[in-house]
Amino acid sequence: MTVTMTAMLPSVRMRRQTTSGRIALVLGVLAIIALVAMPWWAKNGTIRSVVELCCYIAVAQMWNLLAGYALFIFAQLWGINPFFAVPLSLIAPAILAIPTYALLHRLDRPYFAIGTWVVAEVLRLLTENFYYVNAGAGMSLRVMQDYDAHTRKIGVTLLCALMLVVTVGGSYWLLRSRYGLAVTAMRDNAVAAASQGVNVSRLRFLIFVATAMGVGLAGSFYFMAQLRINPPAAYDPQWSKIAIFIVMVGGIGSIEGVLIGSMIYFLADRWFGQYGSTYLIVLGLMTLATALYARGGVRGLVCKVIDAPWFPIRRTLIDEGEAK
Amino acid sequence: MLWLDALIQGVLLGGMFAQYALGRALMFGVMRIVNTSHGDLVILLGMIGISFATKYSVGPFVSLLMLVPLAAFTGWALQRAILNRVVGDDPLPSLIATFGLSIALQNLMLQIWSADTRSMPGGGIEQASFQLGPLFIGVLPVIVLVVATGLTTGLYLLLRFTRFGRALRASSADVEAAAMTGVNPKVIYGLATAIAVGILGFAAVFQGLRSTIAPSDGPFQLIYAFEAVIIGGMGSIWGAFIGSMVLGISQGIGFHINPGVGILAGHRVFLLVLALRPQGIFGRA
Repeated sequence: MTVTMTAMLPSVRMRRQTTSGRIALVLGVLAIIALVAMPWWAKNGTIRSVVELCCYIAVAQMWNLLAGYALFIFAQLWGINPFFAVPLSLIAPAILAIPTYALLHRLDRPYFAIGTWVVAEVLRLLTENFYYVNAGAGMSLRVMQDYDAHTRKIGVTLLCALMLVVTVGGSYWLLRSRYGLAVTAMRDNAVAAASQGVNVSRLRFLIFVATAMGVGLAGSFYFMAQLRINPPAAYDPQWSKIAIFIVMVGGIGSIEGVLIGSMIYFLADRWFGQYGSTYLIVLGLMTLATALYARGGVRGLVCKVIDAPWFPIRRTLIDEGEAK
Repeated sequence: MLWLDALIQGVLLGGMFAQYALGRALMFGVMRIVNTSHGDLVILLGMIGISFATKYSVGPFVSLLMLVPLAAFTGWALQRAILNRVVGDDPLPSLIATFGLSIALQNLMLQIWSADTRSMPGGGIEQASFQLGPLFIGVLPVIVLVVATGLTTGLYLLLRFTRFGRALRASSADVEAAAMTGVNPKVIYGLATAIAVGILGFAAVFQGLRSTIAPSDGPFQLIYAFEAVIIGGMGSIWGAFIGSMVLGISQGIGFHINPGVGILAGHRVFLLVLALRPQGIFGRA
């Protein structure tokens, strides 16, 4: 896509899409189609694994948006919403996110993260004392039994595709839009961004609510696939750990990094999960090592060799004369 | 009278929280380093202390003598090897690095000590109590409170009146300016973290004596310490102490109302403080 600048400005074109980006887009669309068609070609186990992978991608993508581009949170808020229908799972966390944000926005970034953790603890304790949802023991999602296995599979893969489109596609769209520029500017330097006319506090708030919605969607979806929910599993900081691992090791601040990180985590979990705590020790040390030595993660290392973004969000100015 | 009992128990519980919160106040409030493995370090030291005390059948005071220097060394090594590399304007790297460390530590402990809860043999001191009017008060919680008060006073005096304290405050205000006046921030930060984690050595022994510990308990200690620091006000040592008291009393009264809501009451008070006085009790707005 090219945007031609109007009269007053010097004659330059802005290049926003690259060849690698176009190829990735086509592959992405094909992957989504394959995903939707899964009930007709894949085995049960495969579907389950892919669904899990998609949840990782969605949660991590949302975390990335918060962490890399704005501020961050351990968004376990979503644990309670699988009890409602999926559309509601978009609205409920957004509504929950508003008072949370109102309380916590005064905290600076790292303090904010731990602050949201406290909120998640409060919600977990409240859910455990809340008998309507069977308190601490959790509940099975009975409504799902009205559908036979095949219908359920179709529904699950369809929603899965939808979730990926909403989270990954949504992030991509957001970062390419005017808001994306503002968000990137805010990440680099909030004060400087504010001086350029970016409404920093409003933008932060919007991103917080948007990601809460995204995580809410992933949450309701995950437990729909699992058919059973209990508060400790839903509010487990394990989710945050997974998200942090995926984003850090994959490469913070990029959509590609999340996809790479999700694949790494997914495969590592399949291959090494049997080693239990040893595997988690290695996972922790890898996160530590990334923070110490390779801030850009795997994607950063790859980009040093070949700079071919899958989801280009940079705007490159090309001199009109040179381009022609 | 039952309410007075709840209040006193809350103050005594606050003494325990203060021991976690002090190290936290120093690192997080003064140095602005986010150490997410803070709670896991307490548990790790506690586990080492328990194993040591059981193996050589020594009392809690010998364990304390062994554990505090070990803790201080651990803190120094942590700062020099890891935290000095990630400290800077952006708090994200330090958060992520210690988060990774925390996952690694928790699982390492799980592997060495299994998921069992343990407690430290105290030779009878953990059950001892004395009577004050109609109330019975445990000897150990009082010792914990006294030690916490002593540590707070010591840390306050250290920061306020010594050369080291001045150098630390200067480094946290502006690293480069401090370095220009001849302070070596890396050494100062190393020493400060040694003190912060050294205090956790006390916390580990007392936590092990007072109740039980298990490898996965760390994050809870981290949350309490964090809440105490925020309630008290960032950067204030006495603030962290008072914040711990507020948290302890809220939990004590909460437990008295209903055992299910004790911890929740603490969190609620924290959120309330955040809503009404976000800079904390002692914080400057």
